[in-house]
Amino acid sequence: MNKNDLISFAADYFPMFLRKPAPKYVSEAGNRVHGIVAEFNETPKVFHAAEMVRDAGYSNWDVHSPFPIHDIETAMGFKPTKLPMMAGAAAITGVSIGALLQWGTSYFLYPMVVQGKPYEAWEPFVPIMFELGILLTAFMCIFGMLALNGLPRFHHPLFSHDRFYKVSDDRFIICIESNDPKFDPSATRALLEKAGGKEIALIEDED
Amino acid sequence: MSQIAANHPAPDSTALSDAQWAHRLEAIANDARMHDDNINLPASAAAKIGRPMLIVGLVGLVVSAVGAVSVSLEHALAGIEIGLFTVLAISLGSLFWTMVFHALNAGWSITLRRQFENVASLVWIPAICLVLIAILEVLADGILLTWLDPTVSNHLLDIKAPYLNGPFFITRVIIYAICWIVLSRLLLGWSRKSDETGDRTLGRKARFWSSFGIPVFAFSVTFCAFDFLMSLDYRFFSTMWGVYFFASCALGSASAIAIIAAMLKASGRLQGIVTTEHFHDLGKLVFAFVVFWTYVTFSQYFLIWYSNIPEETLWFTARRAMGFDWLFKVMMFGHFVVPFLILIWRPIKKSPKLLSIVSGYLIIMIALDMAWIILPMVSVGNADSASPSVPGHLINAASVLGVIMIFGWLICGKITKSPLIPTKDPMLHESLSHKNYV
Repeated sequence: MNKNDLISFAADYFPMFLRKPAPKYVSEAGNRVHGIVAEFNETPKVFHAAEMVRDAGYSNWDVHSPFPIHDIETAMGFKPTKLPMMAGAAAITGVSIGALLQWGTSYFLYPMVVQGKPYEAWEPFVPIMFELGILLTAFMCIFGMLALNGLPRFHHPLFSHDRFYKVSDDRFIICIESNDPKFDPSATRALLEKAGGKEIALIEDED
Repeated sequence: MSQIAANHPAPDSTALSDAQWAHRLEAIANDARMHDDNINLPASAAAKIGRPMLIVGLVGLVVSAVGAVSVSLEHALAGIEIGLFTVLAISLGSLFWTMVFHALNAGWSITLRRQFENVASLVWIPAICLVLIAILEVLADGILLTWLDPTVSNHLLDIKAPYLNGPFFITRVIIYAICWIVLSRLLLGWSRKSDETGDRTLGRKARFWSSFGIPVFAFSVTFCAFDFLMSLDYRFFSTMWGVYFFASCALGSASAIAIIAAMLKASGRLQGIVTTEHFHDLGKLVFAFVVFWTYVTFSQYFLIWYSNIPEETLWFTARRAMGFDWLFKVMMFGHFVVPFLILIWRPIKKSPKLLSIVSGYLIIMIALDMAWIILPMVSVGNADSASPSVPGHLINAASVLGVIMIFGWLICGKITKSPLIPTKDPMLHESLSHKNYV
């Protein structure tokens, strides 16, 4: 995610503090261009089209489908997600906090005999360390997943495209976004046409 | 009406029609991966690994026998029991996994299931050995099991006498042995029979009996662990004990199968049949049961530590006082922290070589876990060998190695007796095209 994307992302949530960066492409109506969509009506077609878009080197694009398509992640060239690493970091943080808060307070700051147990006993700390580790990991899994997906959000430019609602019925849609470094209005449209896409349309962001 | 009948087959009919089944059999027969070289292991190839194991095993057992006669019977028997309970855990765990796969109608594990069945069907060896050990213990008035000694008089023992007495002990061990042997023989038998006849109803039969076999397994494993391991110290009791031993069973079995499958892959068999996806799932099971073992073991220790009741804490304090505290630390770090941090990485679970190395390490850890349970009790019974001695340790190590290696040799022989996978399982195609979409 580069700087402009970050500003644009934050501006979605805090329009009072941040202004979106100037758009790279503007439609004839003067609106910001979100991207180009193409429709497909069969799973194999959208699968092969996804492979073509992947091989053309696009990175900021998506396939929308009414149902999960097995192996579409290889056809789209997904990289492994960073979420496990983030969850691991959260787990280490949680376990460390649990250890420090208990061991630090009851061994260093305010040594106190509880039930005649020795100060240096590690056993009573384990459940708290475990629980805190699990808690932070679960939080990171949920909120990290939402953040990586760019959720929650109030609106998405694709919703302004009436035909987009067909992806919950009987159509597959590929959308290549205009903030992709390789995006070019005519070349991208030509690629989608070559991939067999129908009803190719420009998506405008009305803001 | 005929429409309804077609959509809802009678309860005793099979879900697959004869035509569908013939179609599947044809697809299996035409599959390039199913040629004989790929799914059979000749005895000569197995002997390459089996024979060195047999030699090491025999040397270990001879050292153990010499030690039993010349140094101490207790140490030799303790070593044999440590080894026996390790291999019993591996084979009982395989029986458990086979029954779980049947009961849950699991698809992914079909190509691995024959190895689980092979190892499970070897349960008769540790089971018969346990019966012999039980008889030996009773005849010798308690070698490791001090409660068999008639000179020990104790109010606690008087109360426990209806359960802890020689004849009932032997009867129980024989019942466990019968349960395990019958279950494992039946499951392997049906699986082999379906290879020959292609009878698809045998899977249904196995599923039916597995569902009853799982509770039988649960009770027999729990009480066997009570009888041989917990009663080493008749004063101690823990309701978690059966689960503690079961955790080693499930872990040991998944580890052993990972090693066997990796070796079969390395010898050029099961190419395209057992893939990284299967190893990934097996690795997940190993990982899960490393954590499960820790959960059970720590819960047991934690509750005993916190409640601080002398009749329970003595189990741990005695071990620490007798110089076995290092084994406690080895268990904590070696059986949990290290394998947890290694197995959490996906590439390690997916690699046959790395997973089998970790699995071998975990089997050593299971043996050390059994040593932590059994070994300290050697010194309790007889005051003359109060502290662990070097010859004693040597005998222990030789006996453990002997038993495990002999068991490895037996597995090598068993694998060659039938195809490496159930060749005509109705769901074989599911396992052949198994993929984790993650």
